[in-house]
Amino acid sequence: MNSRCAACKYLRRRCPSDCIFSPYFPPNDPQRFACIHRIYGASNVARMLQQLPENQRASAVDCLYYEAQCRVQDPVYGCAGIISLLYQQIHNAETEIAKTQAQIALLIDSNTQEQQVYLHQNIEVESDLNILLQEQGDEFSLLGPPNQASSGFI
Amino acid sequence: MSATPSSSGGGSGSSGGGGGPCGACKFLRRKCVLGCIFAPYFDSEQGAAHFAAVHKVFGASNVSKLLLHIPVQKRLDAVVTICYEAQARLRDPVYGCVAHIFALQQQVVNLQAELSYLQAHLATLELPSPPPPPPPPTLVTPPPLSISDLPSATSVPTTYDLSSLFEPIVQVQPSWAMQQRQMDPRQYGGSCSTSTGSGDLQALARELVHRQGSPQHGSAPCADASSPSMSK
Repeated sequence: MNSRCAACKYLRRRCPSDCIFSPYFPPNDPQRFACIHRIYGASNVARMLQQLPENQRASAVDCLYYEAQCRVQDPVYGCAGIISLLYQQIHNAETEIAKTQAQIALLIDSNTQEQQVYLHQNIEVESDLNILLQEQGDEFSLLGPPNQASSGFI
Repeated sequence: MSATPSSSGGGSGSSGGGGGPCGACKFLRRKCVLGCIFAPYFDSEQGAAHFAAVHKVFGASNVSKLLLHIPVQKRLDAVVTICYEAQARLRDPVYGCVAHIFALQQQVVNLQAELSYLQAHLATLELPSPPPPPPPPTLVTPPPLSISDLPSATSVPTTYDLSSLFEPIVQVQPSWAMQQRQMDPRQYGGSCSTSTGSGDLQALARELVHRQGSPQHGSAPCADASSPSMSK
């Protein structure tokens, strides 16, 4: 396979078989290395990769590419802009959560109060009924059954 | 303004003159010329240490080129963020500051899930004959975040609070998921260290920003500067 990796193509050099860049900079994505090179430089990237175990290099290159893209798009703040955005999103979400929890608490509280009022009213009605029945019972015993003559039998 | 190397206040490194080399030129062991681009931002005392990190990750010429393309009034912020990224990269050679971004993104996802659940609960309570509250959502573990899930720089706001860079990473977990979910940045792979909230970075930010009297340095980060502050 004679195809050079994107890094060696960019650097206009021969791509050796043990090129440290080739696993992470395929020739079909020239922008990837160009962006990283613009921010970090080839020798810095090569040194950083050499200091890492092979199984971590792909992740490192992905992260370097992400940071480089952020810096290219926002030369002043780079990734800090993203971090600021995320903190803003966290703050907004926490505020909404607090508001929603307060609304829930309010609704639960008002529902509970309504139930208590309802129960209390039911108890009152029952109590009134009992009193009424008792009164009627008393009258009944005094007056006797309705179809009897009232000339007492004392 | 702060861009003039000989401005008094805070010990900015001077260039040429009689004040000695700035921290960058001291590190590079070169003559600090008048108008040195690094001088306003790297003093001769601690600036050299900060510049060492920047040089190791980015290289002096790359940073110089970057600063030249930035308006003077924005260069301090650029230097602060470059120093931050350099320090983060040295502490975590694999993920750098992306570890911090991953952790924050996961926090956003968790909070949004919690908000959705609460809003659904609220909706059921507002019905005339409310059914029982919905059960907590099944804890489907979301797939781990990848780089492509992270926000892009085109979606950032136009105002920044640099102090947020140096806040400790607080693991806020939704109340219904407290027992089940553990946000572990390491799930994003390998040895993701969580040192981006360390006291050193906070001290760096305070030093750089206070020296220049930047109004953008808002409330000081609350982390203890004496210990690494990855909140558990």
